[in-house]
Amino acid sequence: MEYVIGVLLLISFVGLAVYAVRGGNLMMGMLIMGVIWTALPLIGNTFATNPEFIAAYPGVTDISFVDAITKVFQSGPEGWGSVLVNVVFGAWFGRVLLQTGIADTLIRKTVELGGDKPVIICVLLSVVTTAIFSTLFGAGAVVAIGVIILPILMSLGIPKTLSIGSFMMSVGAGMYLNPVLSGQFLAFFLDENGKQLITYDDPARLRWAMVGLAVQLLLVILMCVFTLGKKKTVHAWSASAARKSRPGYVPSIALIAPILPVLLLVIFNVPIILGFVLGSFYALFVCGKLKTFRGACRILNKDFFDGVVDTAPLVGFLLMIPMFNKAAELCVPYFNALLGNVIPNNTLIISLAFALLAPLGLFRGPFTLFGCGAATLGILKGIGFSTPYLYALMVIPSITMNVSICMTQSWIAWGISYGKVSTREHLKKTLPVAWIICAVMQAITYVMFG
Amino acid sequence: MGMNKRWNRLADAFAGRGAIPPQPEYPEVSLKEMADTLAGFTEETWGGYAFSREPLEGKFTPAQKAEYTAKANACGQQWAERMAEVYGTRSPRLLAERMGMKIEMTQRPVGGGLVLFAQFVQPDEITIFTDCIQRAAKLNEGIGCPLLQKELLTDTLLAHELFHGVEERYETEIYTRTEKVELWRKPFSNRSSIACLSEIGAMAFAAQLLGLSASPYMLDVLLVYSYDKQAALGLFQEICRISDSINQTSRKRGY
Repeated sequence: MEYVIGVLLLISFVGLAVYAVRGGNLMMGMLIMGVIWTALPLIGNTFATNPEFIAAYPGVTDISFVDAITKVFQSGPEGWGSVLVNVVFGAWFGRVLLQTGIADTLIRKTVELGGDKPVIICVLLSVVTTAIFSTLFGAGAVVAIGVIILPILMSLGIPKTLSIGSFMMSVGAGMYLNPVLSGQFLAFFLDENGKQLITYDDPARLRWAMVGLAVQLLLVILMCVFTLGKKKTVHAWSASAARKSRPGYVPSIALIAPILPVLLLVIFNVPIILGFVLGSFYALFVCGKLKTFRGACRILNKDFFDGVVDTAPLVGFLLMIPMFNKAAELCVPYFNALLGNVIPNNTLIISLAFALLAPLGLFRGPFTLFGCGAATLGILKGIGFSTPYLYALMVIPSITMNVSICMTQSWIAWGISYGKVSTREHLKKTLPVAWIICAVMQAITYVMFG
Repeated sequence: MGMNKRWNRLADAFAGRGAIPPQPEYPEVSLKEMADTLAGFTEETWGGYAFSREPLEGKFTPAQKAEYTAKANACGQQWAERMAEVYGTRSPRLLAERMGMKIEMTQRPVGGGLVLFAQFVQPDEITIFTDCIQRAAKLNEGIGCPLLQKELLTDTLLAHELFHGVEERYETEIYTRTEKVELWRKPFSNRSSIACLSEIGAMAFAAQLLGLSASPYMLDVLLVYSYDKQAALGLFQEICRISDSINQTSRKRGY
């Protein structure tokens, strides 16, 4: 019986993969998978006859129907509440950086430092973009920064594929450290009581995230240097929609605001939400936006609203993920019965496979947690790898392949459409670099956690 | 933004439709009126528009921008005359041929926020994107703007890109390349050229070569109109604002 259920679970997994690749709504996909992966093991538990199998998984194979649906559909999303709060505060902080003009000034100052040297500008803007997106999050924020940076890069004759590729991959580099995105990944690793098995400020995870940021940024810089070294400059006559009047320069001391929450967390152990609040008020204060109480209230209200809108498209999807995660826990005995002897219980082989097959993180494939990788994680969890290892293993393709270069990511789709770059051109430029980053990071992950 | 609109935006965002901010709506202006207004803008206005897209814009005062604009326009005009004399023709096609430029005419994917008209790739490749030319011809049926006529539009795009070819050939003597601005404080030094001067010069070059009475810069709005009316209206409003601001500054200086 356990094999039959195992096969049916695998078929549903393939179904999710096909559904995700074809661009299906992932929020609905996760909900349906949550239902299927709850129903199938419950049926299996009812008809299982193998006493060894039943005895090997106490609390799972003998779980009652009510306990199972409570665990999946109630405790799961409830446990994600803490992550959601981090996401909202992070999004608010991002909006503050945009509205005060800090992000704009940072970019302008950088350009004024580099002048007309495409290589220097490309490298400096990549560094600044990475720094900004180490805290900023959301499609709205990427577009707001993109409409400033992309025309600058293109006006200096930097080819469009490189402009968009380097910008989006720099955004992705920052995401390794981004507390909002990290919070969404961390939500995949909750214990039975909804408590996080790995936290944002876990020293080993933080070290790994910083290495990830550095590796991706370094590879983006190398991509810029090599491409601009041999590519010819392009002067394009193009026009874009009207630009908002720029907010004007902000005081230099405001420019540290983007990295303030992470610095406070890493150096002084200040909790990330307090970091976001302090960072936001610091930014508003030094930019002269807190002159009257009434004005301050209006700004806070508007920035909070815009921040929530920025992250809202992800919230629905992410509220379904815990259901799916909890359902996956019910499936562990069946996956183990079917795949326990097939999937190697060896971190070196798994790391190698993830390095070689990294593009499976594209198009919501089985290596990205924002696609059917959530199911892959469910299978791998059942094998018994350590949480830090599994976290790093899955996050690498999720960030570098999905968030940084995949056209199914809303802001990447915007970028390639904005710059009139074909999907093929975009992938040709970014995929080899992203693949190398994944391979390097998988090697580092193996050394750190394997 | 009204409360209703804000709540709709939030609802859209939760439904997965609001990831990219919606385009604002601008006051309606007829295409004819827009073309006539744009044709009347001065070189200073177009210079202001060019500088609004300049990465180093924050380094310059309005007076400096006006001075750079005048010099870049003069540069484009002088080099148009010089090239016409050297190669014995004012036809951009013949000029390109005699200068040994490779010209490619190609369709280009449409949609998105940036509309591409033409491009020059070092050292001698010019690409004209015919999609915008075809759309302009259709657009012109209602307004009769000479610049939107197929032949003249193609020549204008070509002449603009030819100027970048001229810049490549005469890099050490052409103003748009030799003019530099110091970016760093002493004792350090980083002298940079000003990217928008090259575009201002290219527009002046095209206008002089083809004897145009209006700046080819107006094509930025008219060609965008054929792709996205709202974007063009926004661009038009932005240029009108720049024009007003420049006129005010001029009046203050007593010009």
